Amino acid sequence: MNEALLTLGFAMVTASILALSAVAFTLEYAVTNVANVSHGEILTAGAYAAFLVHQRTGSAIAAAIAASLAGGLVALAMHSAVIGPFIRFGASPTIVFIATLGMSFVIQNVLVLFFGAANVAYSIDPGASRQVGPFRLTPLDGEIIGSAVAITFVLYLIISRTRFGKALRAVSQNRELARVTGINATRVAGATFFLAGLIAGYAGFVLAESVGSFNPYFGFGFFLITLTAAVAGGLGRAVGTMTGAVIVGIILEVVPALKLPFVGYISASYNLAIAFAILALVILVRPRGLFTNARRTVFE
Amino acid sequence: MSAYLISIITEGAIFGIMALGLNVIWGWSGDFDLAYYSYVAVGAYMTLVLTIGPATAPAQYILGLQLPYPLAVFIAVITSMAVALVIGSIALRHLRGIYFSIVTLGAVYVVYVLAGQYVPLFDGYNGLSGLFDPMGDWFGLDYLSYQYFLMGLSLAMFALVFLLMWRISGSRFGMALRTLREDERAAAAFGRDIYRLKLKGYVLGAALAGFAGALFAAYLSAFNPSAWSPVGEVIALYAAVLVGGRGNIWGVVVGVLVMGVGVQESTRWLPHVPGLGELDNVNPQILLSMRGLIVGLVLVLFLRFRPQGLLPERRYVDSQPAALIVQTPA
Repeated sequence: MNEALLTLGFAMVTASILALSAVAFTLEYAVTNVANVSHGEILTAGAYAAFLVHQRTGSAIAAAIAASLAGGLVALAMHSAVIGPFIRFGASPTIVFIATLGMSFVIQNVLVLFFGAANVAYSIDPGASRQVGPFRLTPLDGEIIGSAVAITFVLYLIISRTRFGKALRAVSQNRELARVTGINATRVAGATFFLAGLIAGYAGFVLAESVGSFNPYFGFGFFLITLTAAVAGGLGRAVGTMTGAVIVGIILEVVPALKLPFVGYISASYNLAIAFAILALVILVRPRGLFTNARRTVFE
Repeated sequence: MSAYLISIITEGAIFGIMALGLNVIWGWSGDFDLAYYSYVAVGAYMTLVLTIGPATAPAQYILGLQLPYPLAVFIAVITSMAVALVIGSIALRHLRGIYFSIVTLGAVYVVYVLAGQYVPLFDGYNGLSGLFDPMGDWFGLDYLSYQYFLMGLSLAMFALVFLLMWRISGSRFGMALRTLREDERAAAAFGRDIYRLKLKGYVLGAALAGFAGALFAAYLSAFNPSAWSPVGEVIALYAAVLVGGRGNIWGVVVGVLVMGVGVQESTRWLPHVPGLGELDNVNPQILLSMRGLIVGLVLVLFLRFRPQGLLPERRYVDSQPAALIVQTPA
């Protein structure tokens, strides 16, 4: 029983980080209708920025802010340099998908050129773990979970209460119609990318913290899990995506801790394979996400 | 001929076979398949376990036979096709566009993780080795003349595959695949079985991938998870097909020359450029990452500014448009 609660504690941390990354990804999708494959590189940029600033200043808060800002700027650059022009040019979602994959490759390799491909060790002392309700969590775990909840709440307020949030929702529902009513769709999409980048950059920082190291390919690996969470929750739907992230995060932590019939323990190194098995299953059975009743068509 | 030139030509020919196979799936059928390189890997792994003999102590892998190389290649190709049939029949049934790409991305990661982590399959991270000069002793070739032999073999196989693709390109099957790319609904309205056609094209592409993988195994004499990555290799292939002209097999050849041979070989000389030489000492990864950088940039720029490639596919013009037929009195 204790073992199970311990695992669930880890799972909550993973789920928090995953939720941040996935909600940022789904925002990007919502305003462009394009899956940004280079989303993971926003997290990587955040991790590098946090590491560099942390080294200089020694302050974790400064590192978090730097990660966020770096993520926001990288995401904005992605939108204005590649995704935006492709959309205005009338490229199909698949073409933009390929282009963002190419872009992700470019960013990874630029990072390798500057920082090398080796792992960078980076961790903050997590502090002694304490009993929090039924779980044992370190103060760092608590901060990660708390900040994820706070960020989500602020994001909810922005989307539901502000003028910008209204414009964002309008663009995500019908870009053309939004433009007819005088909304500058490109600017709203750019601002949304910046906002998503702020969240994803921060997610990159806390992910690096909780893993303890990172390298130029680190974000791409996590993007694959992000993608699973976002697709499971429904691409472009913020609340569904959050739920998907929590479910996928828990499955990823719980499965390696279980002794399954026939196969025994599944090592955590199969995480990606497990994530994709979930993903393939969801896409095949409920391609619009777990929480919608929309019917599937052949031409999806 | 220097050993360097021989290696370029052999690698180029093998890369060309892979690109021609990818052209069937992406160029003609129009599906952005990210699982493609897993068929190359399956071809290479299978060729090795079928030829290198039983595993010795710490190493472990399936089969461990000592079949003659051509037979092993044949079985490896069949295995690649079987894996593609499974993945394709799941992914092609209902999914198109990015959903298809995402599922195939998942598939290649599953193959990669299984090959790299599940030790009893292909000895996990250590991978397989020990396929030395297959068919060399049939002709009594020494090491150097074997390199010529393998180069000739790869070139001949590339020519053969090219000829086959050239036939298929103009055939009813080739045309039907292109219709699916252009307008799936229209093809369905004309009575095409979309799913079966797409699956056929997919398995054909995977067969070429497996074949190229089998040749690659002979060239490398080993294969392991550090010899390939789930996404890196396939991007280079996509860049080659895109730059040349997707759908046009002559274009694919041009793309292979430009991207596979050109970029690959020009970056090889970067350390010798004055001033850049020191960088090589600082960062041993620089060559690989320069290549990746160029490949990614070329992919993005071509998609944006010249999506039809350097040698675009010929558009077929209907010599008897329906409008004309209607106007003709009966």
